[in-house]
Amino acid sequence: MGGSVPRNAAANFNRNPGSAWRHLDLLLLGATIAVACLGVLMVFSATRSTVGQAGLASTTYLVRQGIFVALGVGVMAVTAFIDYRHYAGLAPLFYGGCILLLLAVMSPLGTTVNGAQSWFAVGSFQLQPAELTKLATILVLAALCSQGTGPLTGRTVVLALAAVGLPSALILLQPDLGSALVFVAAVAAVLFVAGIQPRHLAVLALLGAFGVIYIFGYSSYLDTYQRERLTTFVSNNAQNNASFQVRQAETAIGAGGVTGAGLFQGTQTKLKYVPYQQSDFIFTVVGEELGFVGSATLLLLYSAIAWRIWRAAAVARDMFGTLLCVGVLGMLLFQIFENMGMTMGIMPITGIPLPFMSYGGSSTIMMFAAIGLVLNVHTRRFA
Amino acid sequence: MTADSPRLRLGVIAIIALSLFAALFARLWYLQVLSAPDYQLKAQANSIRIVPEPAPRGRILDRNGKVLVDNRASNVVAIDRTKLTEKERPELMARLSTVLGIPAEELDKKLDSKQVSPYTPVPIAEDVGEDKMTLLLERADQFPAVVARRVAVRTYPMQSLAAHILGYVAEVNDNDRKEFPRQYELGDMIGRTGVERVYEKDLRGRDGELKIEVDAEGRPVRVVSRRPPAQGHDVVLTIDADIQRTAEEALAQGLKSAQGQPFVDPKKKANARLVADAGSVVVLDTKGSVEALASYPTFDLPALADGVSEAEARVLFPPPDSKETPAFVNRALQGLYAPGSTWKLITADAALRTGLINQNFSLVDNGTYITPGDCTGRSCVRHNAGSTAYGRVGVSRALSVSSDVFFYTLGANFWTNRHDPKYGENAIQDVAGQFGFGTQTGVPLPEATGRVLTKELKNALHQKDPRLADAGWYTGNNVNLAIGQDAMLVTPIQLANAYATFANHGDRYQPNIALRIQKQDGTVVTAFGPRKFAHVDIPPNVWNPIMQGLEGALTDPKGTATNAFAGFPLKQWGIAGKTGTAQATPKQDTALFAAFGPTADPQHVVTVVMEQSGFGASAAAPVARRVFEQLAGVGNTAPVQFTRANGAGD
Repeated sequence: MGGSVPRNAAANFNRNPGSAWRHLDLLLLGATIAVACLGVLMVFSATRSTVGQAGLASTTYLVRQGIFVALGVGVMAVTAFIDYRHYAGLAPLFYGGCILLLLAVMSPLGTTVNGAQSWFAVGSFQLQPAELTKLATILVLAALCSQGTGPLTGRTVVLALAAVGLPSALILLQPDLGSALVFVAAVAAVLFVAGIQPRHLAVLALLGAFGVIYIFGYSSYLDTYQRERLTTFVSNNAQNNASFQVRQAETAIGAGGVTGAGLFQGTQTKLKYVPYQQSDFIFTVVGEELGFVGSATLLLLYSAIAWRIWRAAAVARDMFGTLLCVGVLGMLLFQIFENMGMTMGIMPITGIPLPFMSYGGSSTIMMFAAIGLVLNVHTRRFA
Repeated sequence: MTADSPRLRLGVIAIIALSLFAALFARLWYLQVLSAPDYQLKAQANSIRIVPEPAPRGRILDRNGKVLVDNRASNVVAIDRTKLTEKERPELMARLSTVLGIPAEELDKKLDSKQVSPYTPVPIAEDVGEDKMTLLLERADQFPAVVARRVAVRTYPMQSLAAHILGYVAEVNDNDRKEFPRQYELGDMIGRTGVERVYEKDLRGRDGELKIEVDAEGRPVRVVSRRPPAQGHDVVLTIDADIQRTAEEALAQGLKSAQGQPFVDPKKKANARLVADAGSVVVLDTKGSVEALASYPTFDLPALADGVSEAEARVLFPPPDSKETPAFVNRALQGLYAPGSTWKLITADAALRTGLINQNFSLVDNGTYITPGDCTGRSCVRHNAGSTAYGRVGVSRALSVSSDVFFYTLGANFWTNRHDPKYGENAIQDVAGQFGFGTQTGVPLPEATGRVLTKELKNALHQKDPRLADAGWYTGNNVNLAIGQDAMLVTPIQLANAYATFANHGDRYQPNIALRIQKQDGTVVTAFGPRKFAHVDIPPNVWNPIMQGLEGALTDPKGTATNAFAGFPLKQWGIAGKTGTAQATPKQDTALFAAFGPTADPQHVVTVVMEQSGFGASAAAPVARRVFEQLAGVGNTAPVQFTRANGAGD
């Protein structure tokens, strides 16, 4: 993939570095930071009473998520500042590093949380390589698929699938089905916009269908717990634990009503009826405490973010920029829809964080980095 | 592919993105706008637990405020067997053993108890300390199926005194819940018998309610609201604990001293020994307040506070075919006996009232009576007890010495003159009805009805089952009726109430068991005054000769109860009474005594009925004397003694 730096990139960047910043997408930036701030508040609300019981300061999670957001904004500045076209060349390096981390996390160096060996413990913080790999993979995909002109060749499609398949497989081994699915969403979006040929698309769709049937029907990959979580929203079995989680999450959101119970006032939240509230089920806190007004506002902010990313993809001056934004959009949309859909009972339960809301350093920082790249593409649309 | 195909494809992406957001928005709208009320209820049901706080029952006091039934709080740990799996059990038992300090084997044994329904939690420890209770509640997750709760347990400061009157409490059963629909939850306590049952509504109180917020693990987070339990009202009984104790002790002593005394069975040649295994004492004030009700055999009331065990149930309610005497029957109200000579009050009243005789009428009693008219065969020849000849007797003396011959004659004469509208066929029965026989007295506790035999009733019985009675009514039936025999059945309380009616010159009351219902602070909620029920007009020409006869029973040298009351200060505290000895074939004779005093202004009526105890004068009168000694303030602590019959006895 050498020599993938687009034409004119270095020249423009060097000649007039300041000019691009006049085109900074303030709406995208504002909406992102607004969501992240709301996220910090919601993480605080979800954890203030529980950590208190555990003997920690009630602000423990507030402070930590605040730090993550601050770090994220910093990383975003970096990814937005350096001309994105440089990243095309760096992508394979970044990608290779992530693969190594994924391999390492499977070794005894990794830590197991909630049954998945997905983390490195670094001091009191934890690093989740899968999150970083998402962004690296999107970069590699965008670089790969923006080479050449015209419809994608079969070779490119196969390479793209391989680039996604390797990290997905490693992540599935952790096992972390949800994160693996994010890759599928991202690659699908990128391949589609890059111009995949209809026959390739048909073959992929068929393969995908068989894959799903195999995993659910025949393979021993999913253990009972995961199968339960995934199928609860279809089977509506009132007995299992997963359906209890869904019912409690739905109850929390529904109980919020139009105006919500008020910040820190949700009983479902305070009394720990909803599991993983600060992470995967953070949206239930918004739903219960801020009500429809708060939830719809959040949805509106996400819509604004998605729209601005889509717009960046549309106005990008080159295919690499477009595909980069499309990859980020695919990832973001999938995570938002899957996560919120799961808490509202219209999607199966998988452990995927809600972008900028869920507690977690790796995810938050990676998401900021991704938005930084989109800002980057947008600001340099004329240069 | 055209040049603008990436734009087209981005358009498709935009549509997909829009539909995803639309789907989320629609679902959000559905949950938070359309279904919010449902989910709000669910969230509340999730986190709010209502813990009932059982209200202590009201106390039961005697008429002087002495506490007969009280409560104490007890922390009970129980195990709900329906929620315990065999797998969890050994570990749970080990943990409980450590916490409660009771060996695991002992807990196991209690848990396997078959005396508790499998669906109600089995109590395994009572009076558990507060700290242990707190620990069990806080670590509920480690103690599956364990129910720890504070309950009010009945205590009986006077032990089994008045056991039959008080009754006991137990957990509600299906019958209770049918009788009081929607008022009781499983596990609630209810008065099962006696005063506990009759005044259940007053005694029960209102359970408190603790609304607490709990977290997902069921741990209490805070108290939302609390309605404190309101203790039930106290019931103040008409019973006087001191008189009750005297009555119970005297009855038990009297039966004991009667046991083994010779019993001359006229049917059997051989001499037998008295069984004297059961009896009752009624003490009634003349305005209808029950001052004491003793029934023997009695039972261990405090032992029932924690529920009735199988062994206890066998004593209380033996199977019908068993030889055991059921301890649970309150014989004072539910025992049915032939009244024997105590009935002569009624016959004398009927004879004087109707003018069949007057107070100057007399006849010669030579000890033997031959039934006139339609009677044939050996059974037509009857004798006084011991065939004693009393010579010329009028109505008063006939009562005092209990002349059967005199009353046989009256019975026969009534029947002979039955076509005279002054008498009719039921002259004696009519008066009996006015004195309350054959109907319930209305005492607010379960009582038997009894039976006054008439021609119609006898024929009806015969129709139902020829073994119960033969058909028709003959002179012999009226003769038997006159001395209180022949399938007549009365309860001791009916007998007492009839004598009270006479003592009152005809005022008949419904007996009360409770004086008042009051709050803990003594404020009266309901007061129960005397309930005058009927009036029987007893003119002096009827009342005076009978009264003279009843007094003579204790004072006449030949009076049947004179020996039993020898030494009693009758001059200061006169007593009028009547002994009775009723055949109770196939059992031995029933001993009866009914009396009231002081004669100057009658206040108290005492009846004593003792099964298989021979002569009323020998067995029953001494028991009554002990009670009268208490009433009259005559100190005497010597055990009640079976008394030699004065002449014939009866």
